[in-house]
Amino acid sequence: MIKYRNTLLKLTAWLCGGLVVTATFFIFGYILYHGALNITWNFVSDRPRGVPIGAEGGVFPAITGTVYLGALSGLMAGLVGSITAIFLVFYCRNRYVKGIIKASIYFLSGMSSILFGLVGYTILLHMLGMPRSLLAAGITVAVMILPFITIRIIKLFEEDSTELLHASLCLGVSKTYILRKIILPSYYINILTSITLGVAYGIGAAAPVMLTGAVLNAPTPQSVTQPFMSLSYHLFILVSEGISLTNAYASAFLLMAILLVLNAACRGLEYFKKKGD
Amino acid sequence: MRLAEGWSISRKRVISIITTKNLQVSYLNKQVLKNFTCEIPKNKITVIIGSSGCGKSTFLKSINRIVEEEGGRLSGEIFIGDKNISDLPKETLRKQVGLVFQTPLVFPFSVEKNILYPLNYHFSLSKSEQADKVKHYLQLTGLYEEIKQDLDMPAYKLSGGQKQRLSIARCLCIEPAILMLDEPCSALDMKNTISIEKLLIELKEFITVVIVTHNLSQAKRIADHVLFMDNGELIEAGDYSIFSDPKEELTRAYIEYMNY
Repeated sequence: MIKYRNTLLKLTAWLCGGLVVTATFFIFGYILYHGALNITWNFVSDRPRGVPIGAEGGVFPAITGTVYLGALSGLMAGLVGSITAIFLVFYCRNRYVKGIIKASIYFLSGMSSILFGLVGYTILLHMLGMPRSLLAAGITVAVMILPFITIRIIKLFEEDSTELLHASLCLGVSKTYILRKIILPSYYINILTSITLGVAYGIGAAAPVMLTGAVLNAPTPQSVTQPFMSLSYHLFILVSEGISLTNAYASAFLLMAILLVLNAACRGLEYFKKKGD
Repeated sequence: MRLAEGWSISRKRVISIITTKNLQVSYLNKQVLKNFTCEIPKNKITVIIGSSGCGKSTFLKSINRIVEEEGGRLSGEIFIGDKNISDLPKETLRKQVGLVFQTPLVFPFSVEKNILYPLNYHFSLSKSEQADKVKHYLQLTGLYEEIKQDLDMPAYKLSGGQKQRLSIARCLCIEPAILMLDEPCSALDMKNTISIEKLLIELKEFITVVIVTHNLSQAKRIADHVLFMDNGELIEAGDYSIFSDPKEELTRAYIEYMNY
């Protein structure tokens, strides 16, 4: 009986694993097949054209806008997330304060992306009077990816570094010294990886930027106070308005390519760090 | 093993004695140490014995207040000499009271940098002085001869016993007045155990040593003063004679069991 149960368990595990791999390869393959066919140099380097806009031309401003959005939100969320994680793991000894901050982060991580868009729109654009801009969208996306980044960094520190911290403290050195000499040099690649994965998650979301800064047609932004184009929002409009399914697939392909590059960069950084060790 | 030349702990240093009064330590709702009152004599090796989980390690961690970093709550009084540790800055306290953990932990640097890491924090040394100190402290723990060609090797590549000796060398290099070791020889073979024991016996001329061990033979070999703990309480304290003539029934039972 136990033998059959084990076989059934193994079979279910293999089936579930296979299902995940199949779904991933199907989605990637499908977008790759439909998107790659429509990628031309003109599509990558030109701005959107035609009537309705986006039916012809390219998505160059959307590519640059997406990259700017990722950099801006990653910078803000990365800084706040890293500092919060450092505070929680290395400095905060009051378990009530710790509990409140952790609960807030987990609560934030459970919110849907459209709610971030709505709150960003209400607070930044309505209450603070900010223009619909890269900055407003960057802040909104930063808040959205903040819990993702913070939780990953907290987990990283809690798993590996508390023993290092205690062993160091026993030598009479300060926490700042430990952070500077051991923790940050040892974990900066992992922290960068967490931020990069957070950015990959953030730039793929259309909901938080559609109300705060992304527009259907705009040049590459020259400053953070200008509206911008984002690949995710462009893709959403192309499909929902029925403008061009071919261009939608091509845009999806480019978005996926950016996400893949970011993921590959993370893996590469981790690989070279391990090799260096 | 002889102390290498240039051993820099001055004999004139005011060497401390540890006194605890009604020390209580708890983690969340679990009380680990209960009204723990004891005295640890200076320039002696004090061995703490007792069954697993009786609070021996927690006692060591409360002396340098690491217990608070682990989320423990500490009440009562601990004196180093005539100073209450709550009046001392933690960094000063921890430089005076070195602690080596049971599980050897090396920092993610080379062997040499593991020694330089605390050394450069506490002292301003020239490059040549740094190299001398590294050599000196590695020699003290018998590690230098084994790895003198590989000082720039990542420390995690050392064996368990070598890591433990590196941890002890790293702790000694900050020149503590009290050296506390939590089962320091659990990962060592007999040869290295004996060399560490010899080192501790030589060190007690300069510093106070407190050691937790489950190895009764080791305790008998090195102890000047013994504390026997059970369930977070100090059951009996005394000199070497505690092994042959324990006053408390619990101590007798423990020693008989460990001798079995």
